[in-house]
Amino acid sequence: MEDQKHRILMVSDFFYPNFGGVENHIYLLSQCLLKLGHKVVVATHAYGNRSGVRYMTGGLKVYYIPWRPFLMQNTLPTFYGTLSIIRTILVREKISLVHGHQAFSTLCHEALMHARTMGYRAVFTDHSLYGFADVGSIHMNKVLQFTLADVSQAICVSHTSKENTVLRSGLPPERVFVIPNAVDTAMFKPAPKPLDRNEIIIVVISRLVYRKGADLLVEVIPEVCRIYPNVRFIIGGDGPKRVRLEEMREKHSLQDRVEMLGAVPHAQVQSVLISGHIFLNSSLTEAFCIAILEAASCGLLTVSTRVGGVPEVLPDDMIVLAEPDPVDMVLAIRKAISILPKIDPQVMHERMKKLYNWHDVAKRTEIVYDRALKCSNQNLIERLSRYLSCGAWAGKLFALVMIIDYLLWHLLRLWKPTEDIDEVPDFILPKNHDGKVLQDFNAEQ
Amino acid sequence: MDACTSNCSSPTPRRWRKVAYGGMQPGYDDNHTDETFLADMVMNASVVKRDILKVMKDSVAISQYLCIVSLVVLVWSYTLRSTLDENSLLLLDTSLLGSGFLILVLTEEMLSLNLLFHYILNISFFITGLSVLAPIYQTLTRSISSDSIWAVTISLLMLHLFLHDYSGSTIKSPGALQNPTLTSCISLNASVVASVFVASRLPSRIHVFAIMLFSLLVFLFAPLVTYCIKKYSFRLHLLFSLALMVVTLSFVYVLHKLLFVLLLGLLVFVNVVCPYFLIRIQEYKFEINGPWDEAKLCFDIKD
Repeated sequence: MEDQKHRILMVSDFFYPNFGGVENHIYLLSQCLLKLGHKVVVATHAYGNRSGVRYMTGGLKVYYIPWRPFLMQNTLPTFYGTLSIIRTILVREKISLVHGHQAFSTLCHEALMHARTMGYRAVFTDHSLYGFADVGSIHMNKVLQFTLADVSQAICVSHTSKENTVLRSGLPPERVFVIPNAVDTAMFKPAPKPLDRNEIIIVVISRLVYRKGADLLVEVIPEVCRIYPNVRFIIGGDGPKRVRLEEMREKHSLQDRVEMLGAVPHAQVQSVLISGHIFLNSSLTEAFCIAILEAASCGLLTVSTRVGGVPEVLPDDMIVLAEPDPVDMVLAIRKAISILPKIDPQVMHERMKKLYNWHDVAKRTEIVYDRALKCSNQNLIERLSRYLSCGAWAGKLFALVMIIDYLLWHLLRLWKPTEDIDEVPDFILPKNHDGKVLQDFNAEQ
Repeated sequence: MDACTSNCSSPTPRRWRKVAYGGMQPGYDDNHTDETFLADMVMNASVVKRDILKVMKDSVAISQYLCIVSLVVLVWSYTLRSTLDENSLLLLDTSLLGSGFLILVLTEEMLSLNLLFHYILNISFFITGLSVLAPIYQTLTRSISSDSIWAVTISLLMLHLFLHDYSGSTIKSPGALQNPTLTSCISLNASVVASVFVASRLPSRIHVFAIMLFSLLVFLFAPLVTYCIKKYSFRLHLLFSLALMVVTLSFVYVLHKLLFVLLLGLLVFVNVVCPYFLIRIQEYKFEINGPWDEAKLCFDIKD
């Protein structure tokens, strides 16, 4: 049982060429799972004219389902529209387990629903945090409850995220695993030559939006510049709050001390990071924050707001935490500058190599897959009772949705029998290709 | 889960820590749930305890305005039945204007001649504009049947009542800080359109002018006047509301018995049933806060 090889379908609306934490997570996890000998197939929606089947590094097969996104890279929720194509993929690729990512991906929710209807085991990874107060969150929490009512196992990226997910979905905590993200330390290396310490450079790389705390930066930067005449800021990223930052720069005449780079492509993030000493993260909410890992891997000392899962991410001597309040953040930056001489980027990088590793993440995910496959498969009636317990009205609605899905699936089986769907032969990748997968990816970018 | 509980109870060399780094923690599975799980969760932190008497007192503002609107509808229907002639209507307008002014002036903290002049100038512009527009209003909806006009008027009044800003006043006294909200503006406009529709059913120009002036005076300035009274003295506000309710109910009783029962029921519903229900559902209030919440900025964003 232990060395059983899985055949996994990763489903999410978010995948390359789009870029972000989830996309990166799916890609690198898939690569490491491939190396462990599993078969991995990714399903996402079409991006522009990128539609159909593509192969990526390491023989990772990606289905770009011709289904247009309608809002923020999400497909239109149709409930049953994707049943046929998901079934075909599952049968063609002889999938044994479906792994969905990200709570606001409609494709992921639909695919998990269909997979459960067809009796496949389902694993779900939650990458984000949600509150409980506003209408949007309440709606999302119900949708999540629907999907998680029947998944075999769930994964969260931090302990805070696990608490959040358990509260939102009512899942028993022992079925929720915490497997953090990791960082590709080979890609994020520190600067070969130690930087000059006469001038301290603070780097910020984030989308300049409200949730990432761009308004905090507007308050913090002038104050820090006033206290330390030898501090410079480099701000990478774009967004609606960029105007405010530029106004701040002009108001305090800091044009020569605050450099605005605009959007930084992911491949150039490392080269921006290594030009600085301190990395500043001002997010107001964050489930995990990969940006901190990337910065620490490049040997930067991190100053961050104490929100969400951020306090769990790094050991206390590698990060300075502050409350999301300008005064406290300035204090944290002062503290960071005072301990800066004790920080050696190379040592930091070596420590990060030990702390975070995608292969370790893949191995831990493998355990979750094993557990999921050991779960007994229930029939429709047993599963319906779980949906009915989700709420007085919602429960009945969920059960109805599942019954219709079940009926449609049977209709589809009559119309297009499983035997008529061709199975894809597996292809074996030449062995020598394996070791360089991650570096190849860098070269591609 | 079994493996986990046995681990938790037996003394392990290293305690489980709430950290994500360093791979899987030795001795603990990834689905380990510690005793500290959900320790940072805070429940019902910002729930306000409500007191039924306070809620009932606050809901008086709603029934007061309901009465005002009912009185306006009463005047409309009496005018349409020609029970009220144009002279008494004009008299009513003048007395309303005068008493409104009086209340505004009496409750204003600082009485300035400048402000008074400002008000008078505006009112005179207003009256001139109305008298010029009256002939247009009179023939505005001639081609539309009375039934449709009534239906639209009633739905507009419903909309007005639903969206009305009961806590403040859409028309601000000059120099007020906050701008009115979108919904309260929609509400005000709905009431103005309803008045125009009703006025267009009237026989003479002077009727139209009188009824328009009356409706606009009430819809535009009654909230301001009642708001001023409320700010001046809450006891006076309660007394005024009570008097208004008695007057309205007696007038409606004279007009129609069923309407009287309906209005009485509505007032009881607003003043007694709704506050009671609100207090009852308070115990189901369940607020969850924790480290996953989005941080709130402690300063104002100046755009």
